[in-house]
Amino acid sequence: MSGAVNLASISRCFHGLIPSIIATADGRGVPNVTYISQVYCVDDRHVALSCQFFNKTRRNLDENPVACVEVIDPLTLQAYRLRLKFLRSEKSGPLFDTMALRIDAIASHTGMKGVFRLLAADVFAVQSIELVQGFLTEPPDDVQSQMSLDGFRTELRGLQLVSERINQATDLESLLDHALRAVEDYFNFAHTSVLLADETGRRLVTLASRGYGESGIGAEVTVGEGLIGTVARERRLLRLTSLEADLRYGRAIRRETASGRRDLDAEIPLPGLPDAQSLLAIPLVVGERLIGVFMAEDRDPMRFGEWHEAYLEIIANQIALGIDRMLDRQDEATEPASVPKRPTASPAPAGVCANAARCRRFIYYRSDDAIFVDDQYLIRNIPARILWKVLGESQRTGRTDFSNREMRLDASLGLPAVKDNLESRLILLRHRLREKCPDLQLVSTARGRFALRAEGAIELVER
Amino acid sequence: MSVLVGTVDAQGMPSCCRAIAITSTDDLRTVAVYLPISTSQRVIQDIATTHRLAVAATHIVEHLSIQLKGTADSARLARPDEASLVENRQAAFGDIIHSLGVPRRLTRRIACWPAFVVDMRVDEMFEQTPGPKAGTRIT
Repeated sequence: MSGAVNLASISRCFHGLIPSIIATADGRGVPNVTYISQVYCVDDRHVALSCQFFNKTRRNLDENPVACVEVIDPLTLQAYRLRLKFLRSEKSGPLFDTMALRIDAIASHTGMKGVFRLLAADVFAVQSIELVQGFLTEPPDDVQSQMSLDGFRTELRGLQLVSERINQATDLESLLDHALRAVEDYFNFAHTSVLLADETGRRLVTLASRGYGESGIGAEVTVGEGLIGTVARERRLLRLTSLEADLRYGRAIRRETASGRRDLDAEIPLPGLPDAQSLLAIPLVVGERLIGVFMAEDRDPMRFGEWHEAYLEIIANQIALGIDRMLDRQDEATEPASVPKRPTASPAPAGVCANAARCRRFIYYRSDDAIFVDDQYLIRNIPARILWKVLGESQRTGRTDFSNREMRLDASLGLPAVKDNLESRLILLRHRLREKCPDLQLVSTARGRFALRAEGAIELVER
Repeated sequence: MSVLVGTVDAQGMPSCCRAIAITSTDDLRTVAVYLPISTSQRVIQDIATTHRLAVAATHIVEHLSIQLKGTADSARLARPDEASLVENRQAAFGDIIHSLGVPRRLTRRIACWPAFVVDMRVDEMFEQTPGPKAGTRIT
């Protein structure tokens, strides 16, 4: 390879923000030129191109295994030309899996799962890299390399502190809160969330988020569907630095494929920011077990670099272990904790809402396994049963203190015998109450204990 | 509209560059392709040798794309009176790239003038929008 230009020094060109172009020629010397969706840097001497359709480029390479690719640095717009020699097509293995994940995620998101997919990762030897002289009329901006040494030191300090905060967390809610807060404090990632897998492993529920308000809590994603679901299914990190461009490409294929077909799935809404330009999704895995997914988004297409990828993967491992530790923990306090003395109002007998000035009416619909508060949907399934148990118990006995242990022992709640995710269900329940019914709260009082706080009368109706 | 040009030398080695504009006055039987001189020397050399070229015209937001294949009848320097065409197309391209998030201060730096004009006889035209129909001949 030539001179000072090497693949590492032009790594930004492979982010896909500005489409690359490829020229090939067939055995008779007829050229072909087209955009390519992904140029992947394999190592310092090889690149791979994604092959989604058995098209003219692919056929030309079989006849004449050389190509010219032009890539552009998205920060400076400087162009580079690569002379390539086609070596092989990989249809399985780590390279294929890595390249396929991005395409699978985009395909799933745009309702094209199984229709638009990677056929092969075509691997090329890079014979030369040439800076295209004269592409720009003035020298490109002197863009600093991605991170200074001070930056690395800062991030290492950040890692130390994030790690400390995670280790010091006393419950799942504080662990998630500390982790996301630390990621914002030290890396300015303003839009982050953590989704946890439910006990079936088929669904992810958003249990913590920053930068979206409360409304994102409780949002569900099916494993295998959309960008996040694909990351969960494949248990592989996904970094998209040209999200809008990738989605436009997927939609173009959908439009072309859709004519005459009605069996394509609908596009899945983006998980958070509607105008996100970059996304980093990291599976939270302990051993082979999926715990959840950490996700960060940004409106800056170049927000997440390779350094963040490696760095946040370490943090994600810490978060995964921390969550696993919290979910696994059975060592709850056996004695009631010293509950702060605060005035609490117990739920009132049924029918009080007709007479009370301030009253919440909770209706549990048994057939739907769901609770509505003042005719607004609140929550369903196991968290609904937990809330109904707590409210009912409080109404019958006046008790306001409860323990995780008694929830686990109550078979009527339907908690799984192992990995019951009780903590995460309580977090979800607390968030939903804060959002829909802030005058009723479940307050954590000690390890494994919580208390019901109600400001006003409550009427319980079961249907 | 984004315009790409692909060529091949006598040994079968392909080359490519980004063009600035494409025009036709006879319903795409022939086209004139405008290439910045500063970045198209190798492509022009190939055209002088083999006369063959491929031109892809793409709406890069929608990914709608066609490819023309044919033979170069001539290559010449663009005339001064063609400068406004080139500059207008370059500005329009800058607008599109800007809508994708690339600042105008950068797109304004992309060289476009002086330019070569390659007059091409179109032999074949192909659908190139990504998808299952990519590569099919347009009649």
